[in-house]
Amino acid sequence: MRRKKLNTLIRGFVLATYFLCGVPAWAQTPSQPTTSTQASPAPAMNAPLAVKEANPPSADELGKGDASGSLTGTVNDVTVSNPKTGLTLGDALNQIGQNKVAINFVWTLITGFLVMFMQAGFAAVETGLCRAKNANHTIMMNFMVYGIGLFAYWVCGFAIQMGGAAGVSSLGGAAPLSGEFALHFAGKTWGLWGTHGFFLTQGGTYDVAVMVLFLFEMVFMDTAATIVTGGCAERWKFAAFAVSSVFLAAITYPLFANWAWGGGWLFGLGSNFGLGAGYADFAGSGVVHAVGGLSALAVAIIVGPRIGKYNRDGSSNAIPGHDITMVLIGCFILAFGWFGFNPGSTLGASGSLRIATIAVDTMLAGATGSFGAVFYMWVRYGKPDASMSGNGLLAGLVAITAPSGFVNTIGAAIIGLIAGVLVCLSVEFIDRVAHIDDPVGAISVHGTCGLWGVLSVGLFADGTGIGSVRGLFYGNAGQLVAQMIGVATLLGCIFTLTFVFNLIVDYFVGQRVSPQAELEGLDIPEMGALGYPEFVLKMQGAGAA
Amino acid sequence: MKFVGLVLAVCGWLLPVVSLTLTSSLAVRFVFALIGIALCLTGILGFLNRAYVKEAIWKK
Repeated sequence: MRRKKLNTLIRGFVLATYFLCGVPAWAQTPSQPTTSTQASPAPAMNAPLAVKEANPPSADELGKGDASGSLTGTVNDVTVSNPKTGLTLGDALNQIGQNKVAINFVWTLITGFLVMFMQAGFAAVETGLCRAKNANHTIMMNFMVYGIGLFAYWVCGFAIQMGGAAGVSSLGGAAPLSGEFALHFAGKTWGLWGTHGFFLTQGGTYDVAVMVLFLFEMVFMDTAATIVTGGCAERWKFAAFAVSSVFLAAITYPLFANWAWGGGWLFGLGSNFGLGAGYADFAGSGVVHAVGGLSALAVAIIVGPRIGKYNRDGSSNAIPGHDITMVLIGCFILAFGWFGFNPGSTLGASGSLRIATIAVDTMLAGATGSFGAVFYMWVRYGKPDASMSGNGLLAGLVAITAPSGFVNTIGAAIIGLIAGVLVCLSVEFIDRVAHIDDPVGAISVHGTCGLWGVLSVGLFADGTGIGSVRGLFYGNAGQLVAQMIGVATLLGCIFTLTFVFNLIVDYFVGQRVSPQAELEGLDIPEMGALGYPEFVLKMQGAGAA
Repeated sequence: MKFVGLVLAVCGWLLPVVSLTLTSSLAVRFVFALIGIALCLTGILGFLNRAYVKEAIWKK
């Protein structure tokens, strides 16, 4: 028995050596003649391999069942291109390549599915933080933004964002995405938007790698779109929400995402101007969260505060949500989905083992974010506020989204902790100083902490992560400048674009519901049905009595 | 006020971007980026939002 095992090991070693020597020989010498000085000739790609050496299980052995799992998945499962010659080295190498890409496809798709489920988390958080009389309206905005955003992104958003992003090696290249419209100015190339991929067919983009990329990028875009519904909840007209979401999904989000991820000018700040590795935003603190948060700010300014939020002297009234348990469950769903958001942004697991560090960074920053918020609220107000602890968790997660691929665990913990305190300060500033009504804290959680996340890459990136990005604390001040230019672009360009478009929507559609509808609650006037019919009827009955 | 706020925000974006082509000094680019962000925030919160708050429902 022991002798048989030894034989199997030796056979395995011989076969492995054959493959390992064969791969580089094949890759490096396709056109060079073989000379006598070479130690061994390159094996022919079409030469049949001695399959018996791999010791595959016989049909009889397989027929008895494989309880231990040691007989399933052998050389018998390698696809043979020509049954006459049998298994060749070319077949084996093609199988290795396809397995690598298959692992990355599955990884990217499953993490994309996790991100899609974050929509449920957002729906729970936002609805729970609103009053019961607006529950139907709030959750319907969160529900419909998925379809509205998806449609607009399929029509043109994806093409604008990723149409020129070819070279995604982990997914096999995505070669059809090769069209980027660029300006040539001051001797440099400034990529502005992609031109391939409209309707996922134009430009040869009816392609499996493109489909994987589309699914993953689409759910990211939808995250940005659903942020706005929270900031403008309880007074936003449903029709205006729909038009505004189309614009975000089709134009504003894809534009900035192209500049950062699709081969655009922000990404090129490193190669063109020597600013570190260029604008670095690993999973989207800026691209997703700051775009969503700043869009929420733009629309919230236009629609104005809810009736009863502010008194004549400018002091604000707290308008508590109707279901804090729903809010915190939603936060947990979001934290779970974030394991798709950040580790999934490697677009592959094979060859990207940094996913382990990224996942741990993500957990840590979320935890320290909630610590920071609870600590701040406890010290300042004497109680650990539940909704702010949830917002602290989300703030930490938002902030670590950009740096998660570039920082170590200590950096992640600090980034999350700062975000937890920052979100409390920002909520107070937005509410009491700026007099902007944000029922769920979306502007602070996603806008303020998204911008902090972008800047934190320029400070804490340690040079060991994806792309060897190195921040100020590790000796590269240029990276911080690249991140600051990204922040200025978000504030000056993306905010302005969103604001102007929503002004146009306000002119033609009207952004705000009537005061009567707002006082009554938006469920009946806007949606035609109550979120909690029996509950509300009982309350009305009790009030009338 | 609203228009001034938007113009300031756009200028705050363009300033650091244009500075990239004018100088290769990292310190100067850093200062321009800082000024740009400050201009953007002033435009959005100091001018644009203030103009809307002046006309807010709760002030009437």
